[in-house]
Amino acid sequence: MSKAPAQIAGSRTMHMGEIGLLRLLQLADSALPIGSASHSFGLETLAEERVLTPPDIETFLLAYLEEVGALDAAFVRKAWHSLHLKALSDEMSARKLARDSRDASLKLGRRFAELVNAMVEQPFLENNLHYCIAFGAAGAAFGIPIDAVALAYLNQSITGLVSCCQRLMPLGQVAASRIMWNLKPAIVCASLSEEVSCFSPFLELASMRHQSIETRLFIS
Amino acid sequence: MRRQDPPWKVVRAFDLPHAGKLVHLHNVSGGVLAGDRLELLVEVEEGAAAQITTTGATRLYRHRAGAEDSEQISRFAVGDGALLEYLPDTVIPYAGSRHRQSTEIRLGRGATLFWWEVLAPGRLAAGERFAFERLRLKTQVYAGPRQILREDFVLEPKGKDLAAAVRMFTYTHVANLCIAQEGRSPALWRALEERLTEIAQKRTRPGQSVWGVSTLTSDGLVVRGLSMTGCFLHQALIEFWNAARLAVIGEVAVPPRKIY
Repeated sequence: MSKAPAQIAGSRTMHMGEIGLLRLLQLADSALPIGSASHSFGLETLAEERVLTPPDIETFLLAYLEEVGALDAAFVRKAWHSLHLKALSDEMSARKLARDSRDASLKLGRRFAELVNAMVEQPFLENNLHYCIAFGAAGAAFGIPIDAVALAYLNQSITGLVSCCQRLMPLGQVAASRIMWNLKPAIVCASLSEEVSCFSPFLELASMRHQSIETRLFIS
Repeated sequence: MRRQDPPWKVVRAFDLPHAGKLVHLHNVSGGVLAGDRLELLVEVEEGAAAQITTTGATRLYRHRAGAEDSEQISRFAVGDGALLEYLPDTVIPYAGSRHRQSTEIRLGRGATLFWWEVLAPGRLAAGERFAFERLRLKTQVYAGPRQILREDFVLEPKGKDLAAAVRMFTYTHVANLCIAQEGRSPALWRALEERLTEIAQKRTRPGQSVWGVSTLTSDGLVVRGLSMTGCFLHQALIEFWNAARLAVIGEVAVPPRKIY
């Protein structure tokens, strides 16, 4: 989180081959069939309680990126380097206190691994990892630079949350696109995080209380 | 008790009604001063039961130029079949304070833990609200070899808006209760999560306090609360603790000898 966005320009982010770029675009596409559209990670509770409304979304996601986003990016980076992915994933499980969000992250990780393994000739990805860890490991295996992998992971993650907001409240396509556009510098900042730090008690409480909502659109 | 150095003072142990001892920790300097480095090492031996509390709030005093951030390192080793109840009073970071806190708890086979922690925003009566400079917390709980709870965070109110809906929203106090017993089945924790969630729903008053409960990745669960005031937090924590104690070890909770 220390580098300013301007310092990122011209970094090694895009130094990958055409195939690597296309693979990354596919893996980070919000339409990737792993079920991410079924999870709100607590946002549904916040929307239900009118804590999160359309004018608040951008500010909310900025703080989200500073906390949860930075934590996830740090683990994408750790996974990119690591040979001990299950141990990393176990540590992530200990860090995700809300069961709903923890289970969602593991479920997405499993479906991501199953999909990746089904697309390559020789399956290589463990299917018991958190999503950010599976994503980081896949990026490394495909030779995609670490900065690009962390950026792409956070971008698809925020895209998913904005899409979730569109289904929870009156948020038009143009407004949603503007939010995504405005958040790019914050995504870059969060993607550089190597410090493992996260303070998100109200969001965790929203996730813990999600099951008590009477009518739910989302699994988490 | 093997050793105590100032400013720590361990007040003599009192017998608990069922078994075990209640111990009060006293910081005779009245609080944690800039540059202080406090270390608390506790070993609850196999089969023993210990309830540890403090004689008052942990006051984190203002940072002094040239001094290191104050620091408190607490390590607890809970032996096989032993019970630790660590129930300290509220941590109050004064305006301008800088503090690091590291807590590690390791549970042996069948060992049990009830641990709460309450963090205030400062001396509200003196008009201080998130006026501290930096608070860095690191928490680790292990059940046998398994890490079941891990938190690292840095609060710097001047740099990051704590009132963001991701963080504390409109609330000012954070409370956590960790309940764990090494080796107990996931089914027990899921059933207890349901039971404690009923209490959480009853206790939640949006705008005043909000509570949630979740099983940990294994061997335990966590109760988390946010509140606008510290007044009723301990009453809520005692209700959760009592219900959990009955479910996990079959005995009611006996709060420390003080008024909450």
